Amino acid sequence: MEFKDYYQVLGVDRNATADEIKKAFRRLARKYHPDVSKEADAEARMKELNEAFAVLSDPEKRAAYDQVGRGAHAGQEFRPPPGWDAGFEFSGTGFSDAEAAGFSDFFSELFGQHMGRGRAGGAAFRTRGEDHHAKIMLDIEDAYRGARRTISLRVPRVDATGHLAMSEHTLDVQIPKGVYEGRLIRLAGQGSPGAGGPPGDLYLEVQFAPHPRYRAEGRDVYATLPLAPWEAALGAQVQAAVPDGTVEVRIPAGTQSGRKLRLKGRGIPGNGTGGSGDLYLVAEIVLPSAADPKARALYESMARELNFNPRGTHGGRS
Amino acid sequence: MTRALIALPVDDTGLSLEELAAGCAVTREWVIERVEAGLLTRTGGSESWIFSSRDLLRARRLHAIERDFEANPELAGLVADLMEELERLRARLRRAGIPME
Repeated sequence: MEFKDYYQVLGVDRNATADEIKKAFRRLARKYHPDVSKEADAEARMKELNEAFAVLSDPEKRAAYDQVGRGAHAGQEFRPPPGWDAGFEFSGTGFSDAEAAGFSDFFSELFGQHMGRGRAGGAAFRTRGEDHHAKIMLDIEDAYRGARRTISLRVPRVDATGHLAMSEHTLDVQIPKGVYEGRLIRLAGQGSPGAGGPPGDLYLEVQFAPHPRYRAEGRDVYATLPLAPWEAALGAQVQAAVPDGTVEVRIPAGTQSGRKLRLKGRGIPGNGTGGSGDLYLVAEIVLPSAADPKARALYESMARELNFNPRGTHGGRS
Repeated sequence: MTRALIALPVDDTGLSLEELAAGCAVTREWVIERVEAGLLTRTGGSESWIFSSRDLLRARRLHAIERDFEANPELAGLVADLMEELERLRARLRRAGIPME
């Protein structure tokens, strides 16, 4: 396990006051907020910041960390000595156990077994386990037919001595069809274990992996439809690949790039709360390469024969 | 092969007040205060306390902003509104084929 230098993470001195630590955390939390940050690793950095702040903002945890980490350096191999935490009593982190589950091994080794204990007030009543949240990456095609995914999560589990410890938890999940980006799906009972009560639930937020031809907005799906110039100009009947197979579409004569053809009800299927989305085929005219001598001769002939200026004030058509 | 766990779309049934509160590790009162202040919406209209996926994600965001910055609920609400607006505008840019950077 690697030693984590929480002071370095927050960019503060070891003698920093509680106020300086709070200020440093907020400044960096603003910089690395995953919703607005332009930094590539914002989400990972935010997790690191939360972890460092959870320790350094709590006087007991900070004192214990200072003691155990004396002389240790970031990244160095580290094992806490047995009984290192004797005489300290840790209260909650300010973060839920579910969030703390995303913290490093270093954190869970030091403070993990104290989680779920010493919760201020109402501990006796709050017996249901905590809900967990994660994201799940699907392909747009999965939304049409449902999908089966294996997901791996770090979760706190009660060990034989009654303490919470982190463990890797693998789930085999059936995703129903009709889900789309920004929607949540729920796995009942797959959150934290309860203390006497039922376990919490696991929520998965659906995200779609980028696709070269498809993109979704809600249940509506946009698919690019590559066309030859003559298909677009003269009209044609073409086969187009769509997320749930292929469709035969009639291209009207005079179709320009960017024109949308709507196929009603062929977007992401509805699943109880709403009807199916629509599928839009977006025309994209693809030019044959002029590296081919025959194509080159035809282009040259068009250039000679046609009075066509696409930038002309009257649309450029002769 | 073992049987897979079935994941259910939250919006098929919606979430109750208790489920929403549990979903962001806050009390019922925390949720009620923010609904009454207009910072959180209910999907089921003013009569029923039914919440959607979107409401839960917003509640989690409000909670994180309040905690990380010791922000008051109204300020957290304003930040969440701006983030949602940013997401809408980014979606429009994507639709128009304009790259983000």
